[in-house]
Amino acid sequence: MSAWFNYEATLKILLFGMLAGAALPGLFALGIRLQAAGAGDIGTDGSAPRRNPVLTALAWAIYGLVLAAIIIGVLYIARDFIAHHTGYPFLGAKPK
Amino acid sequence: MNIQLFLLIIVVITALAFDFTNGFHDTGNAMATSIASGALKPKAAVALSAVLNLVGAFLSTAVAATIAKGLIDANIVTLELVFAGLVGGIVWNLLTWLLGIPSSSSHALIGGIVGATIAAVGAHGVIWSGVVSKVLIPAVLAAILAIVVGAIATWLVYRITRGVPHKSSEKGFRRGQWGSASLVSLAHGTGDAQKTMGIIFLALMSYGSVSKNAAMPPLWVIVSCALAIAAGTYLGGWRIIRTLGKGLVEIASPQGMSAESSSAAVILLSSHFGYALSTTQVCTGSVLGSGVGKPGGEVRWGVAGRMVVAWLVTLPSAGLVGAVTYWIVHLIGGYPGAVIGFSLLVAVSAVIYMKSRKVKVDHKNVNAEWEGSLTAGLDDSSRQPPHDTGTQVGVLPSRGFGAEDDTVVAENAS
Repeated sequence: MSAWFNYEATLKILLFGMLAGAALPGLFALGIRLQAAGAGDIGTDGSAPRRNPVLTALAWAIYGLVLAAIIIGVLYIARDFIAHHTGYPFLGAKPK
Repeated sequence: MNIQLFLLIIVVITALAFDFTNGFHDTGNAMATSIASGALKPKAAVALSAVLNLVGAFLSTAVAATIAKGLIDANIVTLELVFAGLVGGIVWNLLTWLLGIPSSSSHALIGGIVGATIAAVGAHGVIWSGVVSKVLIPAVLAAILAIVVGAIATWLVYRITRGVPHKSSEKGFRRGQWGSASLVSLAHGTGDAQKTMGIIFLALMSYGSVSKNAAMPPLWVIVSCALAIAAGTYLGGWRIIRTLGKGLVEIASPQGMSAESSSAAVILLSSHFGYALSTTQVCTGSVLGSGVGKPGGEVRWGVAGRMVVAWLVTLPSAGLVGAVTYWIVHLIGGYPGAVIGFSLLVAVSAVIYMKSRKVKVDHKNVNAEWEGSLTAGLDDSSRQPPHDTGTQVGVLPSRGFGAEDDTVVAENAS
């Protein structure tokens, strides 16, 4: 790390930013695609659209995963507050 | 009442005013893309953002009296200096809001304080290496990182949902935006309300009513800062929301969701890795990225260019205002100096407010077609309802400044 420019933090932000900021919306988009496919909205080969409950269930599983990530995000923002008021070192926060 | 207490009261009021401008200046960061894509109704969006900012403000416990730490020599901080710095921040926030430019509120505040410091003791009072490494370089990085992440997120989302009918995907993406926009709002509340708490905390320490070792500011400081930023957010900086959501890039909901996810990720990660990046620069970068990443998407580089220019001049301009304010307050001195300084701030704010009413941007016309500039085409559309109902003059006074509105209508009619 140089005095002027924090290379390490920058690279970390870029790397994890890709995971949380790009891969996560991508996952959400996959859920939307599966849901549409499950509802028979995407005609694959011109045949009549068919419902597929497995794909729909998979879509909801993905939504659940994304929701969990958002909840972790919120808890992360609140971690100092939680640690401060419970005394439990929550998500790595130091209780003060 | 002694002069120091009088100054302290003025500093606290000014700091809360800054917090308020900080709120409406940054509403767009979290909500512009949701409003533009139609995921949230404008009023609902600002209300949600205001509530989350309020919650966020209470969540921040590590209140740092450190906005100026490492940037200026801590031993020279006086109440006059803090006041002048705040004035620089407020005036610059109002000016950029008038022009609809999303610029960083932290930069405006830092600029004001640095300017006031130079006026007070000269350039040696400023730790320039800190200004470069903690303010200037992170600003550039924030924008670049967010553009990259935002562009890749948008590209990925469009690639994955290719061939999915619009009607099946739209609802999902709008719901996704609720989550992503909420995260950005919450993160903003924890970060930005803290800055003002820090300033008031600093002022209280300098006055001596709070111990220099205190870890937390008094409760009233936290409550009033939280309320000020939430009230500002609820007011909605419609002019800036319009630039971010309509002017820079025409935002559709998949882009909005990608941009907000990218912003939330970059802001939270940067605070996690101890390399705080400015919310505004991150959010603007993400929006730009979402324009770059969308297949066939369009970015209005002219608008982006104007914005970058505004970012570049934020520090020196706010600094100049801060310096001039310091001179005025310090040279006149005593009660008159403080009163005149504060009156000038009120006068300048009033003038800017009056100017903003000429062609008003509000929750009704924030999403109107972008016709080359912030207000182009709006002076007609914002007055559409009176034309429809045919009761022109009777409806106008509700907008305030009725006389002024009448003249504008007259000009349009001719």
